Amino acid sequence: MTSTIEVALFIAGIGMAGIFVFMAVFYLLILALDKYLPHEEKMEEE
Amino acid sequence: MGLEQLMPAIAGMTWQHLIMIAIGGILIYLAIAKNYEPTLLLPMGFGAILVNIPLSSALTQIDPATGQAVEGVLNVFFEAGIATEIFPLLIFIAIGAMIDFSPLFRNPSLLLFGAAAQFGIFLTMVLASILGYDLREAASIGIIGAADGPTSIVVASRFAPNLLGPISVAAYSYMALVPIIQPPVIRLLTSRKERLIRMTGNNNKKISKKALIAFPIVVTVVAGIIAPSSLALIGFLMFGNLVRECGVLNKLSLSAQNELASLVTLLLGITIASTMTAERFIRLDTLIIIALGLFAFVFDTFGGVIFAKLLNLFRKEGNKINPMVGACGISAFPMSARVIHQMGQKEDPYNYLLMPAISANVGGQIGSVVAGGIILTLVPLFA
Repeated sequence: MTSTIEVALFIAGIGMAGIFVFMAVFYLLILALDKYLPHEEKMEEE
Repeated sequence: MGLEQLMPAIAGMTWQHLIMIAIGGILIYLAIAKNYEPTLLLPMGFGAILVNIPLSSALTQIDPATGQAVEGVLNVFFEAGIATEIFPLLIFIAIGAMIDFSPLFRNPSLLLFGAAAQFGIFLTMVLASILGYDLREAASIGIIGAADGPTSIVVASRFAPNLLGPISVAAYSYMALVPIIQPPVIRLLTSRKERLIRMTGNNNKKISKKALIAFPIVVTVVAGIIAPSSLALIGFLMFGNLVRECGVLNKLSLSAQNELASLVTLLLGITIASTMTAERFIRLDTLIIIALGLFAFVFDTFGGVIFAKLLNLFRKEGNKINPMVGACGISAFPMSARVIHQMGQKEDPYNYLLMPAISANVGGQIGSVVAGGIILTLVPLFA
């Protein structure tokens, strides 16, 4: 297996893992924002 | 006085030029008659005609009298807008201003499909390296699977500008062909029972304005800390979104969504065509790249669907995910969501998959930009 293919496989593995880590962090961000900045009916209408 | 002096363009015309002019005509036909991504395919098609007439002044030419280079306008646009990445980044502002993240707030777990459906990018990168492309070229080809024109252009212009023409044509063409590419792949990977799964969610949940304003700011900071190289892509996308959500810049938001998007798209399309010269395009490489682009899209769909099926192994009956929604994790918004909703309706007219499909599709828009940022970060470390 040439080094280019090995490096490509390595980047593919790190890349996919990295995207999932990013998205998991954003998922937690959304949960946190939704918890600490909830929709308030009266304030939103004002 | 010979033909060369009288009609130098005809004297210099080769069969390769004629093929490229025909390709330009085909792209224009697809744009107008079939409505396939006309905003990009039409300028690209016309540009392909413009640059494949020999001695075209739209490209830099050597003046035979003085021996000096006379700059062509398309080369000026290329150096100013594509080589500097300004055009695609301006489009990211426009895209950010168009995105509504509230579906994602209602179904945040569907964000993960925005990750799974980027699988095709990396698999294609590996396949391209097996076929002999170097790492930078393989990454530029793989990023077609991002299903995101500006991301593909940013990565390709940085790593393999010589392949920008076929990569752009492949990326935008396949984005338009999502309704043809995704359904057969989904049907192959799913059973009828799985396609009939109904998804209930918090479709009516209201999201606070403050959360929608804080989201782009927080995402930018977090993404920048984890991967600073991704900041240009993610930051400009989130900037556009902040302009939309802040509520005090309505004129700017509308301008970003309309005038900015239209102006930059107009220039981007015709400028990319400056790389579609016969010498660069009529090569075996182009056919291989177009085939690999299709491979990327197919395996993006595969990644999203299989991830959904995997998650379903751990979910109870009544709380399962319709695997078709996994396929919406690509960035082709809102085309992919519409396609999956229609597929769901065909199986069961009372199954409304549009809202979860849109949530996953919005996740895909973030996922594709993150994938681009990761590639921009990792590839220079090894090549």
